[in-house]
Amino acid sequence: MKIVVCIKQVPATNDAKIDPETKRIIREGLKAILNPFDTYAVEEAVQLRERFGGEVIVLSMGPEKAALSIREAVSVGADRGVLLSDRAFGGSDTWATSYALANAIRKIGDVDLVICGKQAVDGDTAQVGPGIAAHLDWKQATYVMAVEDASDDSIVVKRMHEDGYDICELKLPAVVTVVKDINTPRIPTLRGRLASEKIEVPVWKPADIGADLSKIGLDGSPTRVVRTAPPPPRNTVTKKISGTSAECADALIKELRLRSIL
Amino acid sequence: MRHHIENRIYHVEILPPKQDTEKLHEDLELFTTKYNRVKESGYCACITDNAMGLLAFQGPEVIEELCLKVEPSQVMIHLNTFHTKANLHEILDTCVAQGIKYLLIITGDGSDRLPKLTPADVGATDVQSVTSVELLRYIAKQYPGKFTMGVAFNPYEPQEHEFAKMERKMAAGAEFVVTQPIIEKNAIVDELLRKYPDVPVIIEAWMSKKLYLLSDAVGYEIPEDTEFDPIKTLKQIHRDYPDCGVYLSLLGFKTQYHLISDTWVRE
Repeated sequence: MKIVVCIKQVPATNDAKIDPETKRIIREGLKAILNPFDTYAVEEAVQLRERFGGEVIVLSMGPEKAALSIREAVSVGADRGVLLSDRAFGGSDTWATSYALANAIRKIGDVDLVICGKQAVDGDTAQVGPGIAAHLDWKQATYVMAVEDASDDSIVVKRMHEDGYDICELKLPAVVTVVKDINTPRIPTLRGRLASEKIEVPVWKPADIGADLSKIGLDGSPTRVVRTAPPPPRNTVTKKISGTSAECADALIKELRLRSIL
Repeated sequence: MRHHIENRIYHVEILPPKQDTEKLHEDLELFTTKYNRVKESGYCACITDNAMGLLAFQGPEVIEELCLKVEPSQVMIHLNTFHTKANLHEILDTCVAQGIKYLLIITGDGSDRLPKLTPADVGATDVQSVTSVELLRYIAKQYPGKFTMGVAFNPYEPQEHEFAKMERKMAAGAEFVVTQPIIEKNAIVDELLRKYPDVPVIIEAWMSKKLYLLSDAVGYEIPEDTEFDPIKTLKQIHRDYPDCGVYLSLLGFKTQYHLISDTWVRE
């Protein structure tokens, strides 16, 4: 099974600032990490390869330093990676991004399955996975919490929703987005990390993937962010409980019950 | 472990490189330098396991990858409960292959990225979550005779609770104890020594001047303006606890290491 995992490098902070003009995150000076949801996608791909054989290719779009996240994925078992990086990709919204990624997946060729994390923690849109499926015209399942089975031409997944889950069989090739419940991502070993430093990460430009320049970057993005604002502060009230340990415990239980937490 | 106390062998904490380091090779070189220095001094290198919940590479894999020489009595590996079962066995098997004998078993600090051993992983049927007690019992059963295992003692926890836990740890196979850092004579540590006169106890001495970190470690606020001289405190610990070993946490290798050789003086 040839699996592509789409990953994103995101700022490692909950305190990101927004550029008031571009309405985009100011990434300068922020430490970058692999999007936490994508670690589950990488792990699932590696587990599928361990079960069924094949290859895991990590694909990302971003600045050149995003290659670090590709190396991180390789350090936990992915076979290789590809980075889409060019100024022309800058400012792409989820539709333009998924167009570029879909083109890259076509170029990789013979891909059976694309796995994405359910969303990136910086944009929180959860649109890129479905967007890739739309551009490729492939079957898709979102919020996948388990891969039940797979064969040469289909995959059976458990898809989470508010009232429970669906068991879905998808004809391959397909796109799935995964949630945290799906697995426990392995931690990179030192050996894996050192080996990942030695791999080459090819950088593809728009021309390499046959991208139409009018469909990527700001020009190719139908979404316009009109306004961004921080969430309103939470009105928290601190209540101090005093007394003996037993009295405090009783009072705490009472408070929690009053608020239907217990 | 009694041998360490009798021969004044310090336990020197060494933190392995963090997973997110951007200067891995530099950090590995630093680790090597510290490890070798501790070894050459005849002390015991104590390698932490994701201390404070910060993801780091595992001691045994670093030792293996860097081909560092292991003197069995001079290495102690911390091992907590935040591992997968497969990863736990990988660590333990690497320890066995390298001849590492001393393990400090702790419940540990978790993080979002870290998996946690489940009761089923360690064959525990009577608990909701795995603590150092279940891990200790499991390792003792799976690797009989391979390790000498110690446990932590926290004098800042409610006394009754901490001693009840210590009873369980001893019953599970603990053979030595390492305390949380103390900076003066501590009545609860004294009680520990009275209760377990035959168990080697290693007192943790806080060697950093960063008291806010110590506050985090002990769980209560130590005012930043507290006068604190780590070397003076270390000497006092030796005077107060002449029959105990000493674990040096956050020791400054550049500024303090050369000072510790003559601190452990028997009067």
